[in-house]
Amino acid sequence: MPSAKDSSRPAFAVLRVPDFALHSLLRTRPLGRTGAFALLDGARRKAGITALSPAARSAGVDLGCPAPLAIARCPHLVMLVPDAASEAEASAALLSVAFTLSPAVEHTGPGVCTIDLAGRPVDQHAPALHDAIRRLEDLGLPATAGLAATPLLALYAARETASVKVVESPRTFLDRLPITAAEPAPELLPVLAGWGVRTLGDLTVLPKVEVARRLGPPGLELWERAVGETCRPIHRTYPKLTFSSSLDFEHEIETLEPLVFVLRRCLDRLAADLAVAGCSATDLNLELRLSDESSHRHHVRLPEPTGQSDTLFRTLLTHVESLHTTSPVIGFSLGLIPARTLVRQQGLFETGLRDPHRFAETLARTSTIVGADRTGTPRQDDTHRPDSITLELPAAVVPPPRPEPVCPPLGPPLRRFRPPHPAKVELARETPLYVWTDTVQGAVTATSGPWVGSGDWWRPDLAWQREEWDVTLEDGGLYRLMETSEGWFLEGVYD
Amino acid sequence: MAPSSSSSSAALRQLLAERFPSAGKQRGRRLATGLPNLDEATGGLPLGAITEVVCSGPSCGGHLLFSRLLALTREARGRVALIDSSDGFDPCSYPSDTLAHLLWVRARTLDDALQSTDLLSRDANLALILLDLRGNALRRIPATQWYRLQRAVEPSGLALLVETPHALVPSAQLRIELSRSHSLGSLGVEQGTLCGRLAPIVMRQRIQISPLTAR
Repeated sequence: MPSAKDSSRPAFAVLRVPDFALHSLLRTRPLGRTGAFALLDGARRKAGITALSPAARSAGVDLGCPAPLAIARCPHLVMLVPDAASEAEASAALLSVAFTLSPAVEHTGPGVCTIDLAGRPVDQHAPALHDAIRRLEDLGLPATAGLAATPLLALYAARETASVKVVESPRTFLDRLPITAAEPAPELLPVLAGWGVRTLGDLTVLPKVEVARRLGPPGLELWERAVGETCRPIHRTYPKLTFSSSLDFEHEIETLEPLVFVLRRCLDRLAADLAVAGCSATDLNLELRLSDESSHRHHVRLPEPTGQSDTLFRTLLTHVESLHTTSPVIGFSLGLIPARTLVRQQGLFETGLRDPHRFAETLARTSTIVGADRTGTPRQDDTHRPDSITLELPAAVVPPPRPEPVCPPLGPPLRRFRPPHPAKVELARETPLYVWTDTVQGAVTATSGPWVGSGDWWRPDLAWQREEWDVTLEDGGLYRLMETSEGWFLEGVYD
Repeated sequence: MAPSSSSSSAALRQLLAERFPSAGKQRGRRLATGLPNLDEATGGLPLGAITEVVCSGPSCGGHLLFSRLLALTREARGRVALIDSSDGFDPCSYPSDTLAHLLWVRARTLDDALQSTDLLSRDANLALILLDLRGNALRRIPATQWYRLQRAVEPSGLALLVETPHALVPSAQLRIELSRSHSLGSLGVEQGTLCGRLAPIVMRQRIQISPLTAR
C-alpha cells in the first residue's frame, strides 16, 4: 500500500473554470457576482445565450434562448459579448496559479488546465488544490479542481464538483457519472438510450469488443473514455517571461473606479506570474489609450524590486488618483520589467529605509501636493552664488557621517525670505540707519558690513554682484540686508 | 460584593492595553536634543507625540535648534523631514553633510504644508519631522487637525516638532518657548556653542517622565 508521502504514483489534477468566457469578462468589470448576467454567442441581433449566472438562471433564462426573450424574462439581465483579450488575461491567470502546483502544466482548453503532480508528496495534493482554488477566487475566477490517476478522470472529477474532488476509487466514481460526461457523439445517444445505458458504469459493464462491433470506432472511443484509464502524456506549456497585460474596454471609462478595478486584477495576475518566474519587478510601465487617439504613458522606477501585488498597486494608484486625462480611457497596457529577486542581508549598522516602497509612495504623494520640483534632499551647488541649491531624490541608505568640518559653521542659520523683501533703507555715512519693508521696519541698532560678493562676471546673463549688511533692528531681530543693482532687499532673518 | 476601586481600575487598564496595544508604548521614549537645559527638564523631545516650539520673537533660535537636531539625527543616521510652509530654509547655512538625511518639502501654502505633514507623519521611515509654520498668515487651523496629527504620529514613533509664532497646537505633549534673540556678536560664534546658549522655557509638559528617562 503506498504511503501518504509516496510521490511515485501517477497523479493528475485539473483546474477548471466553469463558464470561463463569462467569468473572464466579469473579473474585469466591477459588476459584482450576484447579478443576472448572460453571455451571448456574438453581437448579432438574434444571438443566443451561451452562459448564464445563477441569478439569471433563477429568473427563468435558459441557455440558447435569444436575447429579446431573455430580456423579457429578466429585465435586469446584463448582456455580455465574449472578449478575446479578457479570455487571454483569464487564461494567463489560470496558468499562473497552475504553475504554483507543478512545472508540468497543460493548457487543455479555455478555462481548463491539466497538471502532472508527479514528484509531489501525495498528502500535499488536496491541500495544494484547495489553495489553488482560493487563489483563483482571489483573481476573480471561481474554479473547481479534480484529482485522479489519469488526466481524463481528473477532468471528470473537476466537472462533477463545486470545489475539489479527489477520485480514490475510479470504478465507483465512474459508475455514477451520466453517459454525457464522456461526451458521446450525438448520433450515439439514441442508440445508448435504447440500450438503457444512462451512466458510464452502464456502458463499461458491456464487453468492449461487442460495443466496438455494434457502434464502430466512435463507440470504441466512447467506451475507452468511459473507463477513464487511458493515461496520455500532457502537452506542456511554459511560463511566460514577459510580464505585460493589455485590455480594451467595451465602453469608454470616465471615472477612476472601473479603471482601478481592472488594473488591480491585471496587477494581481502579473504579480502571480512574477512569483512563478521567481522574479521581482524593477519598473512599471502604464499606457492609457484615450478616445481621442492619444495616449498617456507613465513609467515608474520602483525604489526596490518587488513582486508584491499590494505594493505595485499602491504605486500605480498614487499616480492614477492624481491623473486627469483630456479624454475618456478606452484601453490600457501594463508592463512590468522583471529582475531577479534581491536577496541580501543588511549590515548590522546599515540604516536603510524600513519600508522603501512606503517611503517612495509618501514621496510621490507629497510631490503631488507641493510639486515634484519642491521635494527632495538639498544639495549645495558648486558655486558661491547665494541660495544656489538643487533638490535630489533622497538616498536609499543614509551614508555614514563624515568627520566634522575643520571650519564649523559660524552664526545662527539664515531663514530666507523667498523672494527677498524689497526694502527702503536710510543711510548715515553709508551705513544703514533705518529699514522699512512690508513686514519689518525699525531703527538699526547695530550693523556689521558691508560684505561684498560677486561671481559669474564672465557670463553677462548670470553675473551677480551684491553687498550684504548684517543688522540688528529695534525688535531685537538679527537680519541680513543686501544691496544689488536693483536696490535694497531684506534677504532673511538669522534664526 | 462590589469590586474594590483598585481592582476595577486594574481591570480597566488591562482592557485598554488589550484594545489599544500601541498606546503607551512610546510613553517615556525621548529624542535627546543635546541642549542641557531642555534635556534636564523634559528628557528630550517625546517620540510618538507633538512638540510645539513657540518662537515668540525674531532670531530666537528656531532654526538653530533644528540644526542641532539635524546633527544629532545625522549621527544616528535617522531620516528627517522639514515641511517648510514659508520656504525659508537655507541649506547653505548648514554643513552639507548634515543635510544628507534631510527631506525638504517646500510647501507653497499652509494647506499644502499640513497635508504633507499628515502624509509624512504616518511614515515610519522618518525619525523626526519639523513643521515650520512661521512666516505664514496663520488662519485658524481647526483643533481636530492637530489631534489627527497626534494620532498619526503615535504609531509611527517619530518626533513631530511644530515651530509656531505663538501657542497654537492644542494636542502638543510638550510646548517650549524660545524668546531670546541673537545678538550681532553671535554671527562670529560657532553654531554648536550658540546651541548651548539656547534657553528654552517649558510651557507645557503633558507626559510624565518615566523614572528611567528622567534624571
